Amino acid sequence: MKNKFAALSIVFPLIVFLLAAGPAQAQCQLGVPAIKVGVQGAASGPHADYGRQIEMGATMAMEEINAAGGIRGCKIEIKFMDDENKAATGVKNARLLVTDWGAHFMVGTDSSGVAMALGPVLAELKRIHFFTHAATHRLTEDLVAVKGIKEIVRVSVPVYQDAIIAALIFKDRKDIKRWANIGADYEYGYVSWNLFKETLRKYRPDVEFVGEAWAPFLTLDFSPHISAVMAQKPDAIFATPWAGEAVQLLRQSLGQGVFDNVQVWWQAMGGSVDVLEGITAEVQKDRFKGKLWATARYIHNWPDTADNKAFIERFRKRWKRFPNYSAETTYSAFFIMKAAVEKSGSLDTAKVLEGLKGMQIRNPGGVRVFRSEDQQFVYNVPAGRPMMDAKYPIPVLGDLKVFAAKDYYRHPPFTPVSVTK
Amino acid sequence: MENIAFQGLIGLSLAMYLWLISAGLTIIFGVLGIVNFAHGSLFMVGAYLAYTFYGQMGLPFALAILLSLLGTGLLGFVMERGFLSRIYGLDEAYQLLLTFGFILILDDAVKIIWGGVFKIPPIPDFLDGAWPVFGRSFPVYNAFVIAVGLVVAVVLWALFEKTWWGRIVRATAADREMASAIGINVPRVFSGVFVVGSMLAALGGAIGTPVRVAAPGIGAAMIIQAFIITVIGGLGNLKGAFVSSLIVGILSAYGTLFFPVFELFFIFVIMAVVLLIRPQGLFTR
Repeated sequence: MKNKFAALSIVFPLIVFLLAAGPAQAQCQLGVPAIKVGVQGAASGPHADYGRQIEMGATMAMEEINAAGGIRGCKIEIKFMDDENKAATGVKNARLLVTDWGAHFMVGTDSSGVAMALGPVLAELKRIHFFTHAATHRLTEDLVAVKGIKEIVRVSVPVYQDAIIAALIFKDRKDIKRWANIGADYEYGYVSWNLFKETLRKYRPDVEFVGEAWAPFLTLDFSPHISAVMAQKPDAIFATPWAGEAVQLLRQSLGQGVFDNVQVWWQAMGGSVDVLEGITAEVQKDRFKGKLWATARYIHNWPDTADNKAFIERFRKRWKRFPNYSAETTYSAFFIMKAAVEKSGSLDTAKVLEGLKGMQIRNPGGVRVFRSEDQQFVYNVPAGRPMMDAKYPIPVLGDLKVFAAKDYYRHPPFTPVSVTK
Repeated sequence: MENIAFQGLIGLSLAMYLWLISAGLTIIFGVLGIVNFAHGSLFMVGAYLAYTFYGQMGLPFALAILLSLLGTGLLGFVMERGFLSRIYGLDEAYQLLLTFGFILILDDAVKIIWGGVFKIPPIPDFLDGAWPVFGRSFPVYNAFVIAVGLVVAVVLWALFEKTWWGRIVRATAADREMASAIGINVPRVFSGVFVVGSMLAALGGAIGTPVRVAAPGIGAAMIIQAFIITVIGGLGNLKGAFVSSLIVGILSAYGTLFFPVFELFFIFVIMAVVLLIRPQGLFTR
């Protein structure tokens, strides 16, 4: 009797294991135990929430795809690594993910500096990286369109969103003639300001750019920067510090009465969830006097579609937070990858790239269209003014200005843009 | 002219934050001989505790600051008694390794406890708003920071120059063996000084919470500037730390106004010039 139980205790789990594992192995049509996706983002330091949002978007996409049967029957596995917003760490992670862990694809990356360092390494590793936040135009315009690094695919909108759309919105404001800049003191900030000036000058040769101050990464006190540009009596401020730095900058500017003296403050990535959460009290009290404008690479209250609403609902249920743009772009990158692999029927980089050609895909953020010349997914995101809406506990962008992507994306062949101060 | 004066005033408030963090760093080095890389992390912990007591628990702002000082002081006590005191006799490389280890541990600890999202509570009502100064609006909060910095300078001067405890500390700093020989409890002095230094770092972090942010990694942002200031002023020299904080804070503000493209170099140029002319620092004989 005892022996019978002992035999059953071995055979029963074996049967369960075979039932569970056997068919799944048999179903995967791509000849791998699982599709491995390496995910990177800044998970430490003041911008750590962006990496966390990348991780949340990736995890949710993986769970949903696996629950629906995977990609051609293959389950997805993800491994998240903190790139610390440092180029060397990002490159080291990529090598580890591909050579040690066996990643078939990579997704994520917040920093432009990390992305630019990763580009040439991707060609060597022969793995596609879907970039979901890094914003410098050079990633796609230089590394893909000019240098031909086909392993780079960008799902998120680059600095066109931060700079060109701002110029299009404010070109008709004849009351604004003097612009000043409080910029992030690295490539993203330089390029945004240069692109903004270049675009606005085309429409408004009468506009003057009267002052600039540059705040390095990890600036805690923007008072000198605010004071320095306000000394030039600008009509409007163009600002690119992001995440917690954007919240500090806006709060510290209130202390210097900036919103009594300017007509417009453009906070490029001020539409991100963390920034909107950080300025909730000020928006409720209307302390920005309707002069604050912002955008993001996705805003959760747009587009007003069933897809987006369902995504928000699932995301909030899963994580108890609203998704910021890096969550939506990362989530969408997984479905783009899924569509390309399903179309090509392969994990081979060249074949998956073929699978991306001509792709138009509906994501929570709207329809994204793959542009082959620079491997940039094209979609549009509106800009607006932060305001309270009874449907949401935090401010949302309202009074939305919607532009077609073709009107504010740069188009190949690309002309050079200065990447210095 | 008014703009120049106003920018100087903004620089003064910047200097006071720098003074609070560099004061603690230089006191600890001056007495214990420890180069505390984790001093910036204590600044960060002070900011997070102030956020918890004031922003989350809703305690009065002053009480929240006091509690954050006590909490960080306690952490400093544990660091000194539990870890640093064991390596006083060893090579300085061990200090660097140990204090650097604390940076990593405390950065991860705050992320685990408070999460990755930055924290920034509302400005207390009595410190919100602005005063008209030189034709511009000067934030009341910046004036408050200047006042706190000056009060701390006076209190520290009185503590070290006019009290019995201050004499003991100075005696211990001058010659710890002799101090021990005449009956001073040197380990207790070391602990007391480390706690005071930790509380100064915490004060710098705590008073900035409503206008700056509490976020993982902010300590690293501050520690570099604090080291530069202590090098310019002379390692272990409190008066030097105060004056060099003023120099760095005010010149940084003017750098932002007049040389925005090169502003970042300003502070390093000052340090390089001081190191060339007086390698021991401006105020060390």
